[in-house]
Parts: sequence; structure tokens; C-alpha cells
Amino acid sequence: MATLNIMVGHAQGKVPVTILRAEGDIDAATHKVLQDKASEVIKAGSKHILLDLGGVNYMGSAGFRAIHAISNMLSDEKSSGLTKSAYLKLLKPTDAVARVIKTLGFDVYLDIYQDRDEAVNSF
Amino acid sequence: METPFTSKQDRIAMLKNCVFLQGMQDKVLDELASRAEMLWVAGGKTIVSRGETGSKMYFIISGHARVHHGEVTLANIGSGDVFGEMAVLDSEKRAASVMTESDSVLLSIERDAFYEALSADPGAFKSVIHAILQREREIINEVKTRSTKLMAYEKEMEIGRRIQADFLPKSVPEIENWDIASRFEAAREVAGDFYDVFKLNSHQHLAIVIGDVCDKGVGAALFMTLFRSLIRASSLYGNMGSALVDAGSGDAPITASEVLLNSMLTTNRYVATTHADSSMFASIFFGLLDTESGELLYVNAGHESPIIFRQNGETESLNITGGVIGLFPAASYAVDSVTLKEGDLILTYTDGVNEAKNTQGEQFTEQRIMQVAEPEAHSTETFLRIILDGVKAFRGAADQSDDITMLALRCLSLGAVD
Repeated sequence: MATLNIMVGHAQGKVPVTILRAEGDIDAATHKVLQDKASEVIKAGSKHILLDLGGVNYMGSAGFRAIHAISNMLSDEKSSGLTKSAYLKLLKPTDAVARVIKTLGFDVYLDIYQDRDEAVNSF
Repeated sequence: METPFTSKQDRIAMLKNCVFLQGMQDKVLDELASRAEMLWVAGGKTIVSRGETGSKMYFIISGHARVHHGEVTLANIGSGDVFGEMAVLDSEKRAASVMTESDSVLLSIERDAFYEALSADPGAFKSVIHAILQREREIINEVKTRSTKLMAYEKEMEIGRRIQADFLPKSVPEIENWDIASRFEAAREVAGDFYDVFKLNSHQHLAIVIGDVCDKGVGAALFMTLFRSLIRASSLYGNMGSALVDAGSGDAPITASEVLLNSMLTTNRYVATTHADSSMFASIFFGLLDTESGELLYVNAGHESPIIFRQNGETESLNITGGVIGLFPAASYAVDSVTLKEGDLILTYTDGVNEAKNTQGEQFTEQRIMQVAEPEAHSTETFLRIILDGVKAFRGAADQSDDITMLALRCLSLGAVD
């Protein structure tokens, strides 16, 4: 069975950024691990989250639902889709995941970075 | 943990109250009692964990406990019951976990002590076997009850599946000069694929829709009916201002392109605002085909790219023109177009085709669709059957884990029909 581990890190850019590093598969069986961890750090005060997908080889639709839910949790107003989220950004998706992100059109709604420092300073 | 009782007489009396030990002689129970450890355990504590090896069995003197496997409760037990005996009797790993539900008093006995008591009192065997058989009967009854419930549930699911099938076209419309066929193979678990083919109320446009709602199960099925209905209603009856009029008719002279955009934007905004908290979305390809000119206007919202098999043997994959539908209220979509000529064939499909897995976990992929496809097949019906056979052959003994939906159209000739 697929497993997913989420490690929490912090970085200081113009604002404090919480980095969630996901390792494993994000699918129907594991997406709650990600959502729960995000909910936990948001309750603890995180306002800006950088989701590091460098260790994720597979992300199914449940993973995308989790990302949408996290984006909504971070924003008082629901993500309109007019502008990219100022509160949730993605870091280094693997080729396989990047392909699905593009197919589903999530790159229209979320910024994707390859460089960690650049991502942190973009918030 | 502490030991609240010390009297051996108390312990013998308690042991006698336990299944497993009721037929044991007093002197053997006396010996067993002297080797038993009494534990006072607070509620919410895990006593044994599934998968561990263990040498102790436990008798519940007072309190309640839950036997479980993850979130699934296997049994609720209480005073007089025993747990942990299976691993003690056969030395295998613990088959389930047990957690106290309230403050409880337990007696724990080591494997060696229990086997010694059994050898000292052959009559005790009878009592243990009796208790084990009793438990087996209870398990059989429980399995029977659960099977009956499961059958009722599966019957409900079957009814749900039939209602869902009602939301798919019973047959595709017959259009002069076009050969159209569809295939829908439902996965065992209810999923959220859908397709639709219908004539727009205006001129010669034929609407072609194929979509896949994220996730599986009843939720996906419910949303599938919602997406499918919203698209059909919004494209057939474009709500222009206060008057509800037929889209594209004289009262609302909007172009086919506007019908497409209006339908996708309306559907997206409705789901993304009304059902924002469910985070449900669908990838949808929606095309409007001018059956006289062969021009296909389309919006591809995050869906598998349809493939065009040209008569000259070339293939083309259509673009993605926007993100998935249902998440972001103000999302925008572009309309693209392609023209089908005589002999050209377009295949639209859901990820149940390209992501079908074989026993090694490999996916069928878009490349394999193109490899097995025989666009020269004499009908689109045969064309789809050949692809489906290819998917099944590739899958081998692996289960069909997702719905398979395909829709194909071939242009037989162009021009106005008399």
C-alpha cells in the first residue's frame, strides 16, 4: 500500500513560509495525510505554504482535491481562479506529476517553482 | 498500571467467571491465579497491537474493550471475555489490536502458565475447546449478518449504477454522413465517467461531451449526474438575461463558440461556488461539430486529448484549452477548432483507457491506443471494439479499476444533406 510522509520545515522570506515536503504517493489512500498536516500548520498560524513535491512520484485526483482544499483553507476568500494563489505555491514537481498538473490545468491557478529560495522569496 | 486486588480467592473467583476457564478445577485455577498478573488500565490504552508477537493472554475482570483492525471494529468485549488468546495458543502474530474503552481491570497470563494449567487438568481442554467453538459460532453468525448487509448494500449500489446509466445516452443520434459509436464499460466500483451526444437546437451542430469526475464511489456518481445535466441544460437552453431561450435560436443569436464557452463557464461557476467545500472537479472535453463543414469547435478542460486519425494515416492530438471544471469560480477557457475531412476519425476517451494497468502496474498509454487502433476498420463500432480488446488483452488478469468510456465519430462525407 502506498505511503506518504510529510515533513514540516520553515523558511523566512519577505514573510514566514512553511515548507511541506511530501514524500511518497498522493492518492485516494494517502491524501488525507497531506490535508491533515496542512490543516495542523494552518491552525498553528502558518499563512504561506510552499508544497515541495520533489519526493512525489504519483499524484492522483485525490491529491489535487487536497491541494484545492488547502488553497481554500489558506485564503479567507475562496480561490477565484482569476489570479494565482498568493498563499500556496508548488516546488519541484517530478516530471510525471508536472505532466498531470499541466493536463488538469492546475498550473493556471498555482505558481510552480524549481528553486526553493526563489519560491520562498516570491511570497 | 497497578494491582488493586491481592487476595488469591478473589482472583480464583474472577477467573471462574471467564469463558475458557469455567471447567477448570479449583486447584489448577489456584495455581493459575498465583501466576496471573492483575492490571488496572485506564480507558483508551492499547493492550495488544496487530502484527506483534505476544506471549500473554488477557481476561477482562471489569471494564470494556474494543477489538479492532485499524478503524474497523471487529468486536466489543467486556467482563468475562478473553483476548490475546490466539497468539498464545498458536504462537502466530497478533491478528487484531485491542484497546480499552473504559477504565478496566485485566488479568494477564503467560503462555507457559496457561499450557501448564491445561496439562495439569485434561478436563480444562474441554472447556477451552468449547469456548473456542462457541466463539467460532459467533464469528459465523457475525459473518452471516455482515454478508446479508453487504448483499443489501450491493443491491443498492446496483440500483445506483442503473440510475447512473440512465444519465448516459441510450443510443447515439444517427447523423447523415457521420458514423458515430460509443462504448461505456463500468468498473465494479461506481465511478464518474460520462459522455453525451445531442443535437443543438440550432442548425447543424452536434454536441459531443466526454468527462471524468475525480475520485470514485457514490460521490463521483452524484457529481457526474450534476456535471452532465448542467452542460446539457446550459448548452441547450442558454439563459440570456431574463428570457430563457433556445441557445443559438433566432431570439438569441449567439455563435456556437459562445454556446460552448457559456456552457463551460456556467457549469464551472455553479459547481465551484455551490459545492466549493467538496473540492470535486471533472475533466471535460466539449465539442460542437458542424456536421456540414466538418469544423469542430471545442473546449478541452483538463481532459485526455482526443486523437484524430486522418485518412492519410497521420494522427493529431487536440489541445488542452483550460483547467478542470468545478474548482475555481472565475476560471477561463479558450475555444479551439479543428476540421474533420472525409474519412477522418476522431476518438475521445477517458483515463480508464490510457491508464488501464496490467499486472505489472504498467499503463496502457496513449501510444498503445495509437498502436492497436485500426482507423481503417469498416465502422466506428468495430474501431472501438478493437481498442477495447487491446486494453483487455494488455490488462490480462489485472482488475478494471476505472470506468472505460470512448466515443468515436467518422466523417463519411461533407456537405449539406438534402
